[in-house]
Amino acid sequence: MKRKIPVILLFCLVLLFPNFLLGEERQEISLMVQWFPQAQFAGYIVAHEKGFYNEAGIDATILFSDGTDSPFQEVLDNRIEFCTGWLSQAIMLRSENEPILNICQLLQKSSLMLVAKKESGIETAQDFEDKVVSNWGGDFSIQPIAFFQKQNIQPDVIPQSFRIDGFLVGAIDVTSAMYYNEYHKILQAGIDEDELVTFFFTDYDLNFPEDGIYCREETLQRDPEICRNFIDATIKGWNYAFQNKEEALDLVMKYCREYHMQTNRSHQRWMLGAIETAMTYQVGDDPNKWGTLKKEDYYTVAEELLNQKLIITIPSYKDFYKDVVHER
Amino acid sequence: MKDEKVKVKHPLARKLLLWIGLPLLLVYIIVILFTYFWSGDNALKQMKEYLFELTSHHASMLDGKFMKVSGASIGIADAIDEFSTPTKNELYSLMKKKLSENSDIYGMAIAFDPFDYNNKLKLFSPYVYRTDKDIADIDLAKSYDYTLQDWFMIPKLLGTSYWGEPYFDEGGGNILMATYSQPMHKNGKFIGVSTADISLDDLELEMSNIRIMAGYTYIITRTGTFIYHPTKEYMMNESIFSLAEEDGQPELREIGKKMIAGEQGITTFRDVNTGEKSWLVYSPIPDCHWSFAAVIPDKEIMKTVNSMVIRQITIMVIGLLIILLVILWAAIGITKPIKRLLGFANRISKGNLDEKITGIRGHDEIHELVKAFNKMTYDLKHYISDLTAATKAKESVESEFRIARQIQESLLPRIFPPFPDAEEFDLYARNIPAKEVAGDFFDFFMLDNENIAVIIADVSGKGISAGLFMAVTRTLMKTVCVKDVPPVEAMEKANIVLCQDNDACMFTTLFLAIYNIRTGKMKWTNAGHDEPIILSKDGSHRILKTFKDIALGIDETREYHEGEAQLEVGEVMVLYTDGVIEATSPEKELYGEERFIKILSKNAGKTLVEILDVVTENLEGFQKDNQFDDITILLLKREK
Repeated sequence: MKRKIPVILLFCLVLLFPNFLLGEERQEISLMVQWFPQAQFAGYIVAHEKGFYNEAGIDATILFSDGTDSPFQEVLDNRIEFCTGWLSQAIMLRSENEPILNICQLLQKSSLMLVAKKESGIETAQDFEDKVVSNWGGDFSIQPIAFFQKQNIQPDVIPQSFRIDGFLVGAIDVTSAMYYNEYHKILQAGIDEDELVTFFFTDYDLNFPEDGIYCREETLQRDPEICRNFIDATIKGWNYAFQNKEEALDLVMKYCREYHMQTNRSHQRWMLGAIETAMTYQVGDDPNKWGTLKKEDYYTVAEELLNQKLIITIPSYKDFYKDVVHER
Repeated sequence: MKDEKVKVKHPLARKLLLWIGLPLLLVYIIVILFTYFWSGDNALKQMKEYLFELTSHHASMLDGKFMKVSGASIGIADAIDEFSTPTKNELYSLMKKKLSENSDIYGMAIAFDPFDYNNKLKLFSPYVYRTDKDIADIDLAKSYDYTLQDWFMIPKLLGTSYWGEPYFDEGGGNILMATYSQPMHKNGKFIGVSTADISLDDLELEMSNIRIMAGYTYIITRTGTFIYHPTKEYMMNESIFSLAEEDGQPELREIGKKMIAGEQGITTFRDVNTGEKSWLVYSPIPDCHWSFAAVIPDKEIMKTVNSMVIRQITIMVIGLLIILLVILWAAIGITKPIKRLLGFANRISKGNLDEKITGIRGHDEIHELVKAFNKMTYDLKHYISDLTAATKAKESVESEFRIARQIQESLLPRIFPPFPDAEEFDLYARNIPAKEVAGDFFDFFMLDNENIAVIIADVSGKGISAGLFMAVTRTLMKTVCVKDVPPVEAMEKANIVLCQDNDACMFTTLFLAIYNIRTGKMKWTNAGHDEPIILSKDGSHRILKTFKDIALGIDETREYHEGEAQLEVGEVMVLYTDGVIEATSPEKELYGEERFIKILSKNAGKTLVEILDVVTENLEGFQKDNQFDDITILLLKREK
């Protein structure tokens, strides 16, 4: 009997730590997303919680930005491997010769928009000029500025906070909103869609693809397999989230509660739906076709950045975007 | 005496119950049904009003609390307008003073628009707030750019005060708070805002103590967000609109829109928490544009409403039972003495008049009836004894009358023909007496072999006295009419005797004839009697004219006259009393002399008995049972 004990112990160890015994050590990576937990990041949360990253041999840590730290900077400073971010900002960094690479462009469609209440008398952009218009700064201001130029208007724009209270109480007439977030928050504050006037930038040839996955050139060169596996697992996570929305929402809400997010499930459901729309825009719901940065989109954004003198030259598309999924 | 059981087909108690109880029962049933349907509505209405008022009351209390906080901030803004150039210390102490005065305020700030406090200082915002021990202060400008904060930007843009949406003050007080911002002006120019924070932890504590029936309460902000809700995870996360969306209840969204519009209302909806139909009562908290609401399960309300209705109906049913019992009691109260009376009356009817009803108290109609009954029994008893005595007396009198009449009748000659052997004449008489003893009489007697005295008389009045007077007169006449005494002498003698000691003033008419049976001659005298009729064989007649002297017994000094008459063979002298001609038909028609003579004439050829039969028959037919006076007829016929 005594001889059997080491055998049993060994068996238990195999069960508990298979990688250790099988010699398959997982690669630890970190991903930072742009904001606190919400359905905008459901795919990463699902991939992590459902063990898709683990299955891909990755021990992923998801970090949530609080708005004060820049995920791009964290990547460039080599503190983390991956981050999510908007295409516009990445192009600007690239044009400054920062070694940032887009390895997966998930959101194909811009969700940024302008919203006004019909009761404020606004019907077209031409009505903005004597109204109070608020915009977020940074990446969020590029499309509005381009839009105002296109519309040939010069409204007084005031800085916008992350709350929509000013708009709700009528202090602000036109506000920036993400379709998946603030727009629905307006609806959840008791204002009906038919009481609103909306301006989607995508409708004005200003489709700036938003969330993409970025890493440093060096990371891709060193561990292309890990990059590929990470993207694969992420896309699997997203696909699972869209196929099993309520389960995904359970996980998202779990994160939201942990981070004391002031949100609710129906809002996150709306967000997940809106993100799905943005991700499948023009590419469809086949996950194999997701994650591509289309060249025309790239140039739409880059040219506008050039136009607004936010960049001096347009970086090479080929240098900027590495299709790690589809190249395989 | 024990009352005998009286069987009544339709007892009064049942009638009373039927006629009062049954309609009452019907009315009650209608009222109860009405109560159930109408009073249910009414109770529901009352319940709604009650909930409405209760909710308004709580909302007002909360409003008062918020107004105290906003009032402090307004006070600061007004004070800033007064100051020319307040020092930093003055500002801090001003706010600390306000904070110490008002325990509801968590913190206060004065945030200046860039360069408006000092043209060398861009941002300056002194802030005082409570710590565990005392009141601390900082300059918010050193932490962040407050000009981008909603509490600064929104009132600046709006130009009016603003109660901001609550937020969790992480790192600061670590509490849920809401900020009131009041724009400050100097010489009409916006220079910043004065703020006051309220801790929602205190509000939560206060709210958790509010109980409205078996329901719960909550508060939503102007955006519909729950800032107090018994389900903790709703607070700051869910809004009434998110619940409506999550639960697929568009109606709830509409209710929410009314709530955030500052409306007051009461409505039913499906509670998201319980899935049950519930009542939602809401009332605005005007100062901060929030809304206070109470949610009460419908079953709780209906339980209360039903218990109100059931209570009402129970009271009514008890009332009905009491009324029915009272009716029954009253019925028994009324019928019990009546039943006793009935038994009593039954015993009376069996002749027991010695009983008296006792033991029925009160002064009502029944008691009066009992009194009347007792009096009636008493009177009846006495009346019967009186009646018995009277009947006995009457019977004795009547028997005396009968005897008197028998005597009277016995005084009259009864055997006809009285002289069957006499060939010279025939004589028949008949007396038909009236009911009472009367005074008619007739008599005849032979004075000698040739002369016969014939008398007919009619004594005044009726009754015993008349009878006695008649007896006396008859006897007297027998005494005075003797052989060879002329009739007038006999008459005068009789008159004198009758007038003596005639205290009763009685008198009699009398016709006396002394008839010679061989010659047919007669001597007569008449004391006021009807004159005789002489009837011939052929039917003709004549009246024997007389002097018609005064009746006997009136005046003893009066003289009487005498006359003579001759009766031919075959002639009949008819003597009669006034009972004949004064006989009256039921139609008050007099029989009369003419009718009498006519019937006599018609039957003149017949025998005396036949004539008497025809006449009496005719008279009886005429007056029917209407005879008041004696009828006496005497017929004397000369045969040869």
